[in-house]
Amino acid sequence: MRVGIPHFGNVYVAIKTMAYRLGASDSELVIPPPMTQRTLEMGIKYSPTEACLPYKLTLGSLIEACELGADTLAQARGTGICRLGYYARGQEQMLYDLGYNAHFITVDVSHHKLASIIRLIKDMTNNAPWHEVISAFFFGIGKLAALDRVENVVRKIRAVESEKGVANRIYREAVKAIDDATSSKEVKGIAKEYIDRLNRVPRNPAADPLKVGIVGEIYVVIEPFANMDIEVELGKLGVEVERTMTLSRWIKYSLFLNYLGIDEWREVHKLAKPYLDHDVGGDGWESVGEKVLYARRGYDGVIHLAPFTCMPEIVAQNIMPSTREDIPVLAVTCDEQMAKQGMLTRLEAFVDLLGFRRRRRDGR
Amino acid sequence: MIKVGIPRALLYYQYYPMWKTFFESLGAEVVVSPRTNKAILNSGVTRAVADTCLPVKLFLGHVVSLIDKCDYIFAPAVINLGRKTYNCSKIIGLPNMTRALIPECPLVLAPQIDLGKWRYHLYHNIYELGRRFTSNPFKIQKAMEEAWKSNLAYRNKMSQEGFTCLEAISGVRRDEPRPDSGFDSSPLLTIAVIGHPYVIYDDYLNHRLLLQLQLMGTKILVPEMVPEEELDAAATRLVGAPHWSFETDIIGAGEYYLEAKVDGLINLSVFGCGPDSMMVSFVKHRARELGTPFLHLSLDEHASAGGVLTRLEAFLDMIKRREKICV
Repeated sequence: MRVGIPHFGNVYVAIKTMAYRLGASDSELVIPPPMTQRTLEMGIKYSPTEACLPYKLTLGSLIEACELGADTLAQARGTGICRLGYYARGQEQMLYDLGYNAHFITVDVSHHKLASIIRLIKDMTNNAPWHEVISAFFFGIGKLAALDRVENVVRKIRAVESEKGVANRIYREAVKAIDDATSSKEVKGIAKEYIDRLNRVPRNPAADPLKVGIVGEIYVVIEPFANMDIEVELGKLGVEVERTMTLSRWIKYSLFLNYLGIDEWREVHKLAKPYLDHDVGGDGWESVGEKVLYARRGYDGVIHLAPFTCMPEIVAQNIMPSTREDIPVLAVTCDEQMAKQGMLTRLEAFVDLLGFRRRRRDGR
Repeated sequence: MIKVGIPRALLYYQYYPMWKTFFESLGAEVVVSPRTNKAILNSGVTRAVADTCLPVKLFLGHVVSLIDKCDYIFAPAVINLGRKTYNCSKIIGLPNMTRALIPECPLVLAPQIDLGKWRYHLYHNIYELGRRFTSNPFKIQKAMEEAWKSNLAYRNKMSQEGFTCLEAISGVRRDEPRPDSGFDSSPLLTIAVIGHPYVIYDDYLNHRLLLQLQLMGTKILVPEMVPEEELDAAATRLVGAPHWSFETDIIGAGEYYLEAKVDGLINLSVFGCGPDSMMVSFVKHRARELGTPFLHLSLDEHASAGGVLTRLEAFLDMIKRREKICV
């Protein structure tokens, strides 16, 4: 069995770790090459025209995994969460038509999340013993958490570093180092080391970064290829980026703490209540709440990322302008027609606007 | 008398008789917005974000046209119509979008309909809705029962007697329009039109597509003409357990009519419809397997009657020529 997975942020690091920990050999796990224009083009070619960007990108990624010889593919599924429930069905049929006889194993991300992920790992590893599966699982998650910790720091440093690009280089080294680490202790040490290195990066003393929160649909927020490295570009413009939506947070709460009745979005949902009083699927409810949250916390602006025709985010986009908490929102629709230069121009204009607003607020 | 405004859009086509009976037996007067027209379209389009799909924009336009004509607007948040299925996000968030985009609109009555939860939750929400009109719980219960009866009668009228939605609502059956003499009407083609009721039956949105088809000498079949159980069964045969509450309209009806060997299948959909973008590819795939001609018409506010007509004519000509070659 050769298992292939689609790319989604740093998820591949965790999956790779788990599989190798459980004794899978190189030939049993296929990590597709990093997403490129080719991935996108293949995804577009074989998807329904009006499908959303995450569908097209994951399909492209899966096709690339199949080309490398994967015969079993992992994909998310679930009810009550927009089109995602249909991803596996549609993609399985398309791959079959393309002549890849791949078998799909699906991870349920709406109900019985933990059980379905553990089952996925067990399937992938020919029924390894339970304690090994669980220990490998936590090791993989530990790596994601470490990556997210480093990423949280790098977002702040990018805005203030005196030589642009240094922090990003260190971050990329950190991803590589954490990916190669072989024990939990080593991972923690590496994370600490790189965070220290990032904090020592020479800073521009005059920098007074604008603070922007990123909200929106989870795939385009987390996957840098889908949002054209928006965080790096904002960093270059001297903007400190904050986002609450990270993979390790999703795993921590959705897989464990939610079962104990702890809801990470409780505060956000409460803030959204006056404008949107129930879940609309996807991340629409959270987007509205987070906008209010960032406004209350005194941020300068919010960037709302959504794939084109994403239903929950369209609801959020329609509701956002009516909130009493006033904060500039830039809605960026991500799809295959998006061009980097066009996006940069919009970002520059937005950042100029935020700077103007802040100077006026400070009376300068 | 309290006036309740019901926009003639989205779920109106499926549930209007039920809603009407409910409010009228509670002693309220029901006001329905006029048929979709240019003014309604324009006022809807200017309110919503550009990416929003056309039926939701039309809904907003209908709400705008009801301002000052009623005391309440009825816009339920229909979360699902069965366990483990889900409605489109835009329908779930409809009351909130209405409040946000049309601040001047009358109070929006928005009961949550969530059949995935306990039955009590549904009854409680309906009771809360009825409390605005009467304080007598028995009256509310009676209204609810009557509403459900009229809903069943409405469904039966369509599935048993072959009425279309609009005919069943008005209670008057229109004569089938006679085909234009210009068309060769000797072999009557059977064309199934699948899609959401709010697209198929909104004459302004789809440029009177059903009428045009009839004028071209075809017999039209719509999803409502099949009993719901059979649609469910057909949907399960094609893709397995349903994911969306309205999956039967597209996948169920598509599979049912493809198996029934219709001459052609037309999918009527709107640009940017999330659920359709996924479901249609399955029906298309199946149609290709069975060799049935399939036309996917995607409409938006820029579609023109001429363009739609040309594509329809080409589609029908293609079917006719194909049959001549085969015979």
